[in-house]
Amino acid sequence: MTTVRMRDLRKRFGATTALDGLDLDIGVGVTGLLGPNGAGKTTLLRCLATALAPDHGRIEAYGLDPADSRQRTALRRRLGYLPQSPGLYPNFSAAALLDYVAVLKEIVDPAVRRAEVRRVLEEVGLSDRANVKVRKLSGGMRQRLGVAQALLGGPDLIVLDEPTVGLDPEQRMLFRALISRLGETRTVLLSTHQTEDVGALCERVVVIRGGRAVFAGAPRALAQLADGQVWRSAGRPGGGAVYWRTAEGDYRTLGEQPPDGVAVPPSIEDGYLKLLGPAPAGTTR
Amino acid sequence: MTEQTGDAQLLRAVAAEDMGALRLLHLRHAPWIRLRLTRRCADPDVVDAAVQDTFVAVWRDARNYRESGGEAAAWIWTIAIRRLVSTLRGPGHRWVGVAGEAAETVPSAEDLVLLRIEHGDLGAALDRLSPELRAVIQATALDGLTVREAASLLGVAEGTAKTRLMRARARLRELLA
Amino acid sequence: MAWHVDAELLQAYEDGSLTPSRVMAVDAHVQACAACRASVPAEAAWLDRTWLAVADTLVADRPSPVEWLLRRSGLPEHRARLIAATPALRLSYFAATAAVLAFAVAAAHTGQTGARVTLLLFLVLAPVLPVLAVATAFGPPADSMHEITSATPMAGPTLVLWRATAVVGPSMAMGVVAAAASPGPGWWAAAWLLPAFLLCAGTLALATVLPLPTAAALLGGVWVLVALAVSTSAPLVQGALFGPAAQFGYLLAAVVAVVVLTLRRRHLDPGESR
Repeated sequence: MTTVRMRDLRKRFGATTALDGLDLDIGVGVTGLLGPNGAGKTTLLRCLATALAPDHGRIEAYGLDPADSRQRTALRRRLGYLPQSPGLYPNFSAAALLDYVAVLKEIVDPAVRRAEVRRVLEEVGLSDRANVKVRKLSGGMRQRLGVAQALLGGPDLIVLDEPTVGLDPEQRMLFRALISRLGETRTVLLSTHQTEDVGALCERVVVIRGGRAVFAGAPRALAQLADGQVWRSAGRPGGGAVYWRTAEGDYRTLGEQPPDGVAVPPSIEDGYLKLLGPAPAGTTR
Repeated sequence: MTEQTGDAQLLRAVAAEDMGALRLLHLRHAPWIRLRLTRRCADPDVVDAAVQDTFVAVWRDARNYRESGGEAAAWIWTIAIRRLVSTLRGPGHRWVGVAGEAAETVPSAEDLVLLRIEHGDLGAALDRLSPELRAVIQATALDGLTVREAASLLGVAEGTAKTRLMRARARLRELLA
Repeated sequence: MAWHVDAELLQAYEDGSLTPSRVMAVDAHVQACAACRASVPAEAAWLDRTWLAVADTLVADRPSPVEWLLRRSGLPEHRARLIAATPALRLSYFAATAAVLAFAVAAAHTGQTGARVTLLLFLVLAPVLPVLAVATAFGPPADSMHEITSATPMAGPTLVLWRATAVVGPSMAMGVVAAAASPGPGWWAAAWLLPAFLLCAGTLALATVLPLPTAAALLGGVWVLVALAVSTSAPLVQGALFGPAAQFGYLLAAVVAVVVLTLRRRHLDPGESR
């Protein structure tokens, strides 16, 4: 079910074009946003999170238009947002910080707010750190606290800008479990640099480049873009391809078939690289 | 930290503001403290309030706990009975401090004797004490309260409690002779 | 220890069917025996309930002095909490303002010829202090959480105006106290109030078009430059800058600024196109 529609979004910052006529539909479930740095991911998320107005174009989320101030407020009541730099106040305790955001989310009754703060702390596994000041939390804990504030009030639309940054492998697993649970009933849009995150928890993946969506579909379909172009070979491939030496000591190539190359199934990363065009010839990674 | 971590180590973690450690202590000690407090106060709401106050006080006072000063369970229990006293008596739920007053408590030799109550004559002797004399022995020797706190718990003047304690000891000696 | 508390004994203890000495024996034993303590059955719901009560008590922060004051003045708890989180409502900011003002007052009390210059300097600079306060009341870069704040239903003109008022109020009050403590004709103490109000309202009005720090720097800078230029050219400086005609002009301009601010207030919302 489509819950968010974006049409012809444009946004410029001075001479830089961040969004250049972006069209995108997303629905209930987890959608991953991939793209190189500067492709417009953060701008797109900020626009959807009502923290920034696009110069041109239209957004409709849960039937609400953020260009209209009343509908924008209504949308904010159903929104959870983790910005790229949350800037959580260092002198607040985790619980006090969440309490403050809960007030911003119009949860007026102190008892309801306490219960809600407790709930989201439990969700991200920070119950035992509720009283710890933000500045004393580790990077991963701060990131989880950032996610926790986005979950306050049980939003329908959850926008997360690089939520897995700074998480260690165990925390990342817990985070995936949490997000996929949320994705059962809510619209979750998250940006990431990790293709593993996309493969592990996103039903849909969107690739943006130069301020436009250049791919939107299942992660498997993204991988398929590189079908028949990924090879393994014992010998070092010639030029004109991206290749690297694997842990097993042979070469994995994306592009032209090396002389002794055997086709292997492509990964999401292969599809992503294929889509964005190969790096300069012969580059090792 | 796990369920196997010792009380003393948990208390050190609590002193370092670790709520997880306090949660483990609560899990481990709240049930028996509740049971024991229920023997002293029939109102479950008052007991629950005292249990909650106890762990809040443990949180604030954990840095004052010294391992040399005895077992953690006994330390927590002393806090619990004091919380009960102040919940019952103090109109403003006056905080009865933990540190500094320990010197006034009755020598622990009597505690050791009490651990052997079931053997021999002491049990019988205690049973034969009048209830008010027994209560003051219980509050001081067993619960570790000062005479003043015992007086507060029993709702009598401090002087009365002191007299009763002396009479109780004399009577016990007499019965055991 | 030769014996332990078994289920039967525990039941008797709970029922109250033990002799007093047995009760005391169980008490003493349980206190010393970890195994018997652990054997006391725990009721999960009760444990959860008491733990949550404990955790809530520990986590509940004492309200900050600012929040306490706001609540004492009759604001509802949630609004007090909202305003108390204003970045500029920190002791350090007020301390800095107080220090600047104290210095100005002290300087005004020393020297004869220098006094007039210092006082003039005070009159010129005092209106800029509330503008600085407004500049740090909300939005980037003063509020590190502005991006999160922007995406909440409370974001928008109401929050901005509450916060601006919350910082301008104390800032102006300190200015009044400082002016009253300075030597000079009595009206000087109030002479800077209208310019200060104009600059604050103007900054907020301009912030509907420009980023807030830019708006504040622009207006504050223009005020200081014009005032200094006037004071070097005109002999009756205080008349030109703070006389009745000038004050009337400030009032008119302030009204215009308030009207612009009212009409364009929704542009204070970061989600609004400019």
